[in-house]
Amino acid sequence: MNGLWRRRLWRALLSVGALAVLYGIASEIGSALLPRRIWMVAHYLEDVELLPPYRSLLEETVFLIQSGILPRSVLVSTARVFEGLALGAAVGVPLGLSMARAARLECLLDPWVTFFRFTPALALLPLYALWFGLGELSKILLIATAVAVVTLLGAYQGVRDVPRVYLEAAKSLGASKGLILRKIVWPAALPQIFSSLRIALGLAWVTVVVAELIKATMPSLGYLLALAGAYPRVPTIAVGIVTIGLLVLACDAVALGCYAVATRWMKRSPAHA
Amino acid sequence: MRPAEAARPPKARRVWLGLASVVALVAAYTLLSNAYRVVDPSLLPDPIRGVLRPQILPPTQRIFDAFVQLVGAGASPVGGAYVHTGDHIGGLVEQRVTLQGSLLISTYRVLIGIAVGGSLGVLAGLLMGWSRAVDEYAHPIYILFRSIPPLALITYVMLWLGHGTAHVLLPIIYAVFTVVVIPTYHGVRDVADIYVKAARALGAGGRLLLSRVVLPAAGPFVLSGLRYALIIAWMTTVGVEMLMADEGIGYLLIGGGMWSSRLEVAGDPAVIVVGIVALALVGYAMDAGVRVAGDRLTEWVKR
Repeated sequence: MNGLWRRRLWRALLSVGALAVLYGIASEIGSALLPRRIWMVAHYLEDVELLPPYRSLLEETVFLIQSGILPRSVLVSTARVFEGLALGAAVGVPLGLSMARAARLECLLDPWVTFFRFTPALALLPLYALWFGLGELSKILLIATAVAVVTLLGAYQGVRDVPRVYLEAAKSLGASKGLILRKIVWPAALPQIFSSLRIALGLAWVTVVVAELIKATMPSLGYLLALAGAYPRVPTIAVGIVTIGLLVLACDAVALGCYAVATRWMKRSPAHA
Repeated sequence: MRPAEAARPPKARRVWLGLASVVALVAAYTLLSNAYRVVDPSLLPDPIRGVLRPQILPPTQRIFDAFVQLVGAGASPVGGAYVHTGDHIGGLVEQRVTLQGSLLISTYRVLIGIAVGGSLGVLAGLLMGWSRAVDEYAHPIYILFRSIPPLALITYVMLWLGHGTAHVLLPIIYAVFTVVVIPTYHGVRDVADIYVKAARALGAGGRLLLSRVVLPAAGPFVLSGLRYALIIAWMTTVGVEMLMADEGIGYLLIGGGMWSSRLEVAGDPAVIVVGIVALALVGYAMDAGVRVAGDRLTEWVKR
């Protein structure tokens, strides 16, 4: 097992390293051969580095960090993602749980859940901008909406998939409703809730970046991309994209870790071995 | 162990309750959004005063009017009495942007994204699920690229491809690709594996193995990936159209203009609501289509 993982790691490093070296070579050749003047819609863009070499990327990163632009943007965007995630999950999970437990509520809410499920969250942005202004609130609520739908469906499905035997056994042993919810429904639904949270986190990042791009109003990662795209400054765009990618990657790793911890008990059950 | 299917009311009752909830909420909204005709909003306390305005909560009949206007926008006379209105719906009607036309363009973009991105994604998933070496080399790179939100690339892609069709389609294709890979991969690696071993033991190989064993076994997973991909494709399409395109439903929602000037058009909530409802309906219809087709294609699973 250990050898297997070592080989996986080695091959992963090899392929990512090869990609990095290839980019280095391509950017060196590119900076000599690629045009620096580009015709765009109605005018020429001057001094465009289509493939910025590593040294200009490094320079740009140092500048963006030292000037505080990048750390501030990261902080603003990350805060939005997590505020939206918390708010969305706080609405979505309880609703999903109660929908799965109360049949009448499910029937009443079903058309609305379906409606929001098939509404691209970004389509709500103009409406939210109108209702809640261009500031923080509309972006956080937009993320929360996207997150609420995903976690609602996850919690609902999680409860629906609880084996009926468990519920009936508990009931016949005289467990109260509250006890069943705490000791059976909740732990059994937890894996699904966590995996829906992981999807929701990815979705939240997509939503926030685009929301910031479309209604770019204050220092944030999407705003940085929009600004850099308007000039255009490719090194800044590249640093922005890589930063977002790394943040998404880190968030996903954390979510995966939480999932593994939360479902550790499952490994004891022979059904999942 | 069967899932907890008990205590579900019969279908007729479910439909009735769902319908009742929609009618009740629409009726409540109609009353609320028309309240400004009865009470003078300026007399009300602050947060309610701000909300109870037709510019914020459009009355239901105005939403319906907007729908009729947008559907008929293509028939508006050109060169007739030209009134430059400058508002959201007026601007759209001037440009003869219709609801159905915008939906058609966006649907076309979504379908191209699904066709191109979906086939590339299935191919990548198949390769990674099938060969351990490919998996070990390519998976880390896939994860790196998957982490980048497709729309974040749009300003960079524009420098390479210019502002045109390919530029608008690329983020959609990219988004679909990244979504479809993983379900295909798991379908091939985790599910097909046991069948592959059995088929190999019976002497099947090569093409036969792929067409009769691997693809059918991974099929249900690919289909469920495709259903999620549809949602992502619509989301990306709307985002791209809001940012860059000069037609499509995202353009309709945001009321025209290019890039930075798009902020300056005051949005008309009636138009936005019409667009959102239309998007939800089309998304639902496409999902239902895939679901029905999928049930047919994977009928063997139930046996």
